[in-house]
Amino acid sequence: METAFILVVVALTSALALAMARRQPHRRLAAAAGRALEAVGFIALFLLSNVAVGFALALALRATTGSFVSLYVNDDVSLLVLSVLQALVWQSWREPEDPAQPRG
Amino acid sequence: MPRAAGGVVVTLFAALAFTPLAGLLHRALVAPAPPPGHAQAIVVLGAGVDRGVLTEASLRRALGGIALFRRGLAPLLVMLGPDDPGQRTEADIRVELAVDLGVPPAAVLSEARGRTTREEARLSWQALSARGARRILLVTGGQHMPRAAALFRRAGFDVVPAPVEELPAGATRPQGRLELARGLLRELVARAYNRAAGYL
Repeated sequence: METAFILVVVALTSALALAMARRQPHRRLAAAAGRALEAVGFIALFLLSNVAVGFALALALRATTGSFVSLYVNDDVSLLVLSVLQALVWQSWREPEDPAQPRG
Repeated sequence: MPRAAGGVVVTLFAALAFTPLAGLLHRALVAPAPPPGHAQAIVVLGAGVDRGVLTEASLRRALGGIALFRRGLAPLLVMLGPDDPGQRTEADIRVELAVDLGVPPAAVLSEARGRTTREEARLSWQALSARGARRILLVTGGQHMPRAAALFRRAGFDVVPAPVEELPAGATRPQGRLELARGLLRELVARAYNRAAGYL
């Protein structure tokens, strides 16, 4: 029941967004979906990198300083949120800038 | 490459959140334990404390151990759980809880030096083998149990698993399913690390 409810809510808001987006026919949905998938891929890559580096750093700190850092610290949900931010900045940075847009 | 990775992540997310896949994986990797029998001690593994407040998993495990004691399945209850800098240890907070719930103070031990499951196994063996307690009821989460039981057997114990459910295997809400999958992934990584390090 909860699963169906959530999917219906998301389907409704997606349909609304699609209806609004169709007012701008020059925008392509497939290209947007591709960029979104690319962003998700970058998020996964940043998250994997953060966890791998965190794991290695925790073990290195244990070995070199004698202080104990739990490996479970790499399971913190804040690492996912920060990976999302890293990925979004990375993706925006890689995209060619629109010369028509004024620079801030 | 990033798009392909993104496609895999979105597909996995949908399968784990909106289908029973996480529950099926949980049941495949976590064998159900038979009803616990008698033992010489009950050992409750640590699960975290933050500024004097037990985590939900820590509280569930502690209550699981206290319930086993009150059922008369062992004469000794060992509460584990490391210190929280500047605060009381997880083990001491659990001991206080056990005494508040009717466990005699003389029947409960606190061991707060173990920071990993392997250290907990070694320190428990040091504390219990001197008392002649070799057969133990091991209390931890279902997902953690296979690794924990293997480490405690390696330390010398005859282990009777007494898992507490920290996550519902039959979760129907997407968030519950994702938490189940996250716990499984975390435990699989921990098992791989323990095997690579030669602990298992």
